[in-house]
Amino acid sequence: MLCILKRILIQIKNDKRSLGLLLIAPLLVLTLLYFILGDSDYTPHIAVYSMDKAYVEQLEEKASITKLTKLPKENSYLEENKVDAIAWKDSKGIHITLERKNTKSAKALKVIQNTNEKLAPMKISPVIHYLYETNDENQLDSLSYVFLGVLSFFFVFLLSGMSFVRERFSQTLERMLMTPISRFEVIGGYTLGYGIISAVQSVLIILFTVYVLGIHVEGSVFLCILVMILMSFLAVSMGALFSIFSNNELQMVQFIPIVIIPQIFYSGLIPIDTIPLGLGNLKYIIPIYYTSTALDKVMIEGKGLMDITPFLTGLVIFIIVLFGINVLSLKKYRRL
Amino acid sequence: MNIEVNQIEKYFQKNKVLNQISMTIDSGKIFCLLGASGSGKTTLLRIIMGAINAEKGEVIIDGMKVPNRTLLSRIGFMPQNDALYDELTAWDNLKFFAGLQKIEGTTFIENAEEVLQVVGLSNEKKKLVRNYSGGMKKRLSLAITLIHQPKLLLLDEPTVGVDPVLRKNIWNYLKKIREQGTTILVTTHVMDEVLECDHAALLRNGHIIANDTVENLLSATTDGRIEELFFLGENE
Repeated sequence: MLCILKRILIQIKNDKRSLGLLLIAPLLVLTLLYFILGDSDYTPHIAVYSMDKAYVEQLEEKASITKLTKLPKENSYLEENKVDAIAWKDSKGIHITLERKNTKSAKALKVIQNTNEKLAPMKISPVIHYLYETNDENQLDSLSYVFLGVLSFFFVFLLSGMSFVRERFSQTLERMLMTPISRFEVIGGYTLGYGIISAVQSVLIILFTVYVLGIHVEGSVFLCILVMILMSFLAVSMGALFSIFSNNELQMVQFIPIVIIPQIFYSGLIPIDTIPLGLGNLKYIIPIYYTSTALDKVMIEGKGLMDITPFLTGLVIFIIVLFGINVLSLKKYRRL
Repeated sequence: MNIEVNQIEKYFQKNKVLNQISMTIDSGKIFCLLGASGSGKTTLLRIIMGAINAEKGEVIIDGMKVPNRTLLSRIGFMPQNDALYDELTAWDNLKFFAGLQKIEGTTFIENAEEVLQVVGLSNEKKKLVRNYSGGMKKRLSLAITLIHQPKLLLLDEPTVGVDPVLRKNIWNYLKKIREQGTTILVTTHVMDEVLECDHAALLRNGHIIANDTVENLLSATTDGRIEELFFLGENE
């Protein structure tokens, strides 16, 4: 088993392209997502009506302000005047009107909420109105757990699956199996070899996300790494499993829509409880559900080990079951 | 090691690709499986080493029924493809496959140097395999097959793409290890190579058409030309 582990590590070291795909590509994609979805240095445009002078002065530090003499009645005001939010006050308190949930409105909302907290921390929260309701949150902070899991899963699945297809296609697997090594040792060495590389990737992704991109993690970073490592071992096993049904690299790529896209659906990007016909229950057989939920609980809700234990157990069960299936499937290449 | 192949039948879907194949390969002989592409040579070889099942029949090697994992440490298998890791050096490839056979340390170094000498790659051992030519890859593949000094060699078209000088070297080496008691089963469609063997079986459409010593087979042809072996029994 150690032979295979060592060989995979040397192989990857000499294959700069695969190393780049595994270690650098996820970081580049995450960085791109950070700029697309994350906080930018955008200065929101906020219109104010009937607000205190001190409040407006405070807002002006973080936003460009338009002072209104009357409250606009038309919904089109925001769009036509390129205004992100209107803050206004009446007897019930402060109201904020936004067009829809997006990065700009989120930024405007954040500025207003920060001003509120600064000037009147104990007062009632402002009433928020959206002209158009959408389900977007578009904040990398709140969706980071989805992207971390999906991206890592995708790259590891692809690399390990392709490598295994290549082993079969080039007959190195057959040659390996014509030695006294057991099928258990082959899958063990393979899972460990690619698992270790993927684990390095997981650590790198988490550290990069937290310390370079500055994504907030409410709970323990160590727990996030643990979840990601388990998921990377799972992705290796999934890759190996699907490679059995592929006769070449192209066929492996054809599995992406079948394997990866459902993972995205159940990753937390779409609220699972809104999926009709009980299809939401499919989450139990979708590995990424366990990863995303565990990451969500740690990163967003700040939960600890005990709270995510059921999801970690789910991942471990998946790894064990897939490992067993992979060992059995090698019977196709050697009867013993 | 001697091999007994008894009444082997193999189907791919509904096509019978091997039909009632029986033959005996004596210890310390070079046995040639001769036949055109698609005649079933590789399939028979893979059944003999236990990689795939036959629907009927059995293979017995040294009294042990195949498949048997203990036999694998004494068998050297060379597949038709090069079956190498392009991202590793020749030395690392050898080391990996030797490791699977538990050949390590000084034994590995001695064996590796010897087989690299045979295939003429001693000076290229530190190169990455992806920088090798097709012929060099074939030679390295053979070196890997020999690294654990197996007592039974199963070689699937071993000299395809190898230049004539090196081919001669390889055959000389195979004859040398035959003298030391190694049994060699080689598939080929290169007629010249039959002359290097002790015994040959001609496979056509899944049937054994002829199975005899090379000497006897040649005498059965009209003018002793080995090409005629391919046409043996064609009109029967």
